[in-house]
Amino acid sequence: MADTEKLVFMVTHGPAAPELATIPFVMAAAALASDVQVVMGFQADGVELVHAGVADTVEAPAFPPLAKLLADVRELGGLLLVCGPCVKSRGIGVEDLVAGAEIVAAARFVVEITSATNSLVY
Amino acid sequence: MTATLVDLETIAPAKVIDARGAACPGPLLEAKKGMSTVAVGAVIEILSTDPITKTDIAAWSAKVGHEFLGSLAADGYDRVFVIRRK
Repeated sequence: MADTEKLVFMVTHGPAAPELATIPFVMAAAALASDVQVVMGFQADGVELVHAGVADTVEAPAFPPLAKLLADVRELGGLLLVCGPCVKSRGIGVEDLVAGAEIVAAARFVVEITSATNSLVY
Repeated sequence: MTATLVDLETIAPAKVIDARGAACPGPLLEAKKGMSTVAVGAVIEILSTDPITKTDIAAWSAKVGHEFLGSLAADGYDRVFVIRRK
C-alpha cells in the first residue's frame, strides 16, 4: 500500500448552499497543506462550482471566498473531477469549466474512492 | 518539549507571517507557504486573529512533522510559533 494518504471529497451542493459548497474546499486545502493527496469529485449541483466564473459568486459567512479556495486547491495540486452526465444535463461543456477540471464518468470516481484513505461526501 | 512563555517571548523567528484577518484555512495555508521559505531548524511566527489558528497549527505541525512551540496572546490576535523540522 502506498505511503501517501489520499482523501476524496465528493461535492454535491452548488451556489444555492454556499456553506456546504465551501466546506469541502476548506477541507481539501487543509489536506493538501498537510501533504495529503486530494481528489475533489463534483456531482449534481456541485458541478456548478467548477463552471468558470461561478465560484466568484459564492461566499459563505466566516469563510474565505470560494474563488480564493478554488485557486488554493488548484495551486496546491488538488485534482478536480467532474461528473459527465451532470454537466451534460446542465448544458455545461468542457470549455466552460475552470482550467484543470476533468470530465469523468462513474468508473473513474470508483477508482479514486476505492484507492483513497477516506472519502467524504458534502 | 514545550517551550515556556519566557522562551516564546525571546524567540527571534526567521519569518513572521501576518495572517491577521484571514479565515480558516487561510492562516494554515500561509504557514505552509512560509515554512518552505525558511531553513530546517528555523522558527516561523504566524500572526492570526482567528482564535482557532493556534490549535489548528498545532494539529498541522504534528501531522506533517514540524514542532509546535506554542502561542502568545497579543493585542487582539495570537502569535503562533513553529519550528521547521523537515
